[in-house]
Amino acid sequence: MAAPLWVGALLILLAFLVIYPLLMLFFGAISDSNPVIDGFGKFNPSLTHFIAVLGNENVHLAFFNALVACGGGTILAVVIGLAFSWIVVRTNTPFKGFIAGASMIPLFVPPLVAGVAWSILGSPKTGLLNTALKWMGIDFRFDFYSMSGLILVFGFYYAPYVYMFTASALRNMDPSLEEASEVSGASAFTTIFTITFPLIAPAILAGSLLSFVVMLGIYGVPAALGAPANISVLTTYIFKLTAWAPPLYNTAAAVAILLMFVTAILVWAQQKVLSGKSFATVAGKAFRPRSLNLGPWRWFTFGLALIYLFIVVVLPTIALVIAGFRRFLFFKDFGALFDMKAYSWVHFNSIFDNPLTMTSIWNTMKVGVITALVGGALAFAIGYTVNRTQVGGRRSIDLLSTIPVAIPGLVVGVAYLWAWIGLPGGLYGTIWILALAFVARFIPDTVKALSTSFMQIHKELEEAAWVCGRGLLGTIWTVMLPLARPGIVASMTLLFVLAVRELGSSLFLYTSDTTVMAVLLLDYYEGGNIGKTAAFSLVQTVILAVLLGFTTWLSRGAAEGTARAG
Amino acid sequence: MKRRTVLAGMAGTAAAGLALPAQSQQDPFGSKELIAAAEKEGGLTLYTADFAETQQEVIKEFNKRFPKIKVAMVRAPGGQLITRIKTEAAADKLGADVVNHSDRGLMLELVDLFQDYSPPNAADYRPDALVSPKLWPGVTLGWAIAYNTQLVKNAPKTWMDLLKPEYKGKQIGQVIGPSGGTTWTRIMFERQVLGEDYWKRQAELGIALYPSGAPLSDALVRGEVSIAPLLYNIIYTKIVDGAPAEAIFAPEGVPIIPYADGITKASKNPNAARLFMNWRLSKEGQTFMINKLGNITSLKDPPAYPKGWDPKVIKVWVPKFDEFDKLRGAWLEEWNKTYGYRQ
Repeated sequence: MAAPLWVGALLILLAFLVIYPLLMLFFGAISDSNPVIDGFGKFNPSLTHFIAVLGNENVHLAFFNALVACGGGTILAVVIGLAFSWIVVRTNTPFKGFIAGASMIPLFVPPLVAGVAWSILGSPKTGLLNTALKWMGIDFRFDFYSMSGLILVFGFYYAPYVYMFTASALRNMDPSLEEASEVSGASAFTTIFTITFPLIAPAILAGSLLSFVVMLGIYGVPAALGAPANISVLTTYIFKLTAWAPPLYNTAAAVAILLMFVTAILVWAQQKVLSGKSFATVAGKAFRPRSLNLGPWRWFTFGLALIYLFIVVVLPTIALVIAGFRRFLFFKDFGALFDMKAYSWVHFNSIFDNPLTMTSIWNTMKVGVITALVGGALAFAIGYTVNRTQVGGRRSIDLLSTIPVAIPGLVVGVAYLWAWIGLPGGLYGTIWILALAFVARFIPDTVKALSTSFMQIHKELEEAAWVCGRGLLGTIWTVMLPLARPGIVASMTLLFVLAVRELGSSLFLYTSDTTVMAVLLLDYYEGGNIGKTAAFSLVQTVILAVLLGFTTWLSRGAAEGTARAG
Repeated sequence: MKRRTVLAGMAGTAAAGLALPAQSQQDPFGSKELIAAAEKEGGLTLYTADFAETQQEVIKEFNKRFPKIKVAMVRAPGGQLITRIKTEAAADKLGADVVNHSDRGLMLELVDLFQDYSPPNAADYRPDALVSPKLWPGVTLGWAIAYNTQLVKNAPKTWMDLLKPEYKGKQIGQVIGPSGGTTWTRIMFERQVLGEDYWKRQAELGIALYPSGAPLSDALVRGEVSIAPLLYNIIYTKIVDGAPAEAIFAPEGVPIIPYADGITKASKNPNAARLFMNWRLSKEGQTFMINKLGNITSLKDPPAYPKGWDPKVIKVWVPKFDEFDKLRGAWLEEWNKTYGYRQ
């Protein structure tokens, strides 16, 4: 049979992408040596790092802070993301297309940029918001250099993860159950909480788990907002370990393994909750996504959407535009903001003067496309095997493809460097090593995003194809691919965006010819030039926005196609 | 956190055994043969822990004199760059021709990866700025006291002024002690020259801590803090561009950080690398870095001085390298405690 061969091939591929680098990481965590430099022969096992990590009260504090910040952030992200997807997919709120597009923008903002933008806005001493409040004679002051600041920014910026999952689930959901509820006399409110949200529970859980884990791995936001208040989280702690002289990678690897342990528990819990329940809501029956007539309340939901957009898109963009165009970010008072002499194109001129800028943009696009295509195909193969077949070994595939989510980028970069630099064939120093690292690093995100669409496609559709004489590949091609297309496009877009933003693993794998935008952005930030950092982030945002428009157009076509296919 | 100690004591012997080449002083950058060979190679790769933009300026200036030699650059933060160099070297894939790094201790650990090299003007350099005859201070940075001119009415003039009660309440910003070799040099100076209790008295004022110099310089310009000890080059270019900031050199001394730059044994463009190093270390290269980038120099007779630097008053301070290494772990731990920094 072909099945064992197929499973074997997937397992070998995952072993190369995940297990091999991970072994290097474990190797580093339980020894004092760098596997490449010292060789496996000099392996000197010692639990010193683990014990040091577990006993260090600063690690305890960083761990606690990370749980509070990411836990709070996730709750907020779920509230915002769910409300938003409901507003966009299920109501007759005006200008939905515009809201849907704009609400995804935070996803395209690198965390470092979000952190910088909110420090420009919400710093207790010089923040634009506080300068404005002072000018208005209001005594209240925002302080985003705090735990609540971290939670708010995490919640705002990672809500799109929840939104992406829940919106596609809502879009693909058969509304007949909701209609049944309403016919039986339940109010719209009751229907939402007893029918709609429970039905898309896998999407909500997957979205919140993913956003929680992604937050755990974010460096930029806590670096910009937590550091001034001396709030340290696991990622900033790991960054410290790798940035010290001499760098303590082995200890960092030990902290990373601690982080992986937490994530493993979460993933296990998610599967425990979801196991044994059927969430199939896309069946072989025609339906049209239903939209609720809110009457005059639709202006209220529209208002909510506008407020969210204002906070997440408009305010930070204003901050970045001001920072990008202003020579210096010093305001004596609120009036100084409108002194047009202080604005110029100088930062943009200077970034485009730098030959690395165009090189990095071009490289980033190449890496992004390769990652999205290769990663998308691999994720489809994995997702299909795990969710739609009964072949032996699929549990192992599922497990292996979930692991990388837990490894923070900086440490993963070292693991890949250690693992792949020695391979023959000159992979090191090319665009491909970056793309491979991104594919490996983001397999879990892509597979999770895809699996949600798989779970919703009822088995009966495939069975119908088999009955009609189609083979397995024919069924995938004629049934699964078209039906899962919104999910596939969304996952590949996500993959592209993640690849464009990814900094941690790039830092160790790029060479002078393969510089990417994220690395250059860190250069500008580390160079202490907030103007150029802002200008370059605006450039990056515009590039990504163009792409966003393109994929929205693609998936809209897909959604219509799906409706027709049913 | 206990740090591994770096080959202590090697420095003294290395510097003493310095052999100077008998090269003609006519050509400051190298012989005609060297230049021809370098141009034939046509390029080199520089690994740097310095700011990318700063090094880009240096490369641009170098290309004004030698336009045929293209310099590619890989930039990473200090510790991460070292990891990368070590790993690449172990896999026999070291891509660097020249490495430019601020941490002499870490570079000394890697000294076996570097080839013998000394510039034509080797004799003009301060012996205490060298840790190995293979590694040279292509870049030298110095600490200044910077302040926001819009916020500070009574500007500090000395290091001791930074203890004044009028600056209390997070008006002063500082880079954390364990951030790297440059900051360690400054806080070592504070304790050895300004007094055992200097840290304690300053910490009592309430200090805002930053992970590294660049974000601190940005915070100073924005007005998040009003005063900060900063490497002069970080704030200099901003002052030139018109930022509301000023920086002074204090009379008690200017702690300087000579870098350790070298040419790798793995270099595929050894002639271009040599010429690039020669130019950086030449009077012309050093003058450019002082005037345009806000650097200091390790040349015994500085060809130029930064603005406001009176050579009769201002003296540079170079840490003794054996102490630099030996005291580091214990003193940093104490510094962390004093300033309430959780490591």
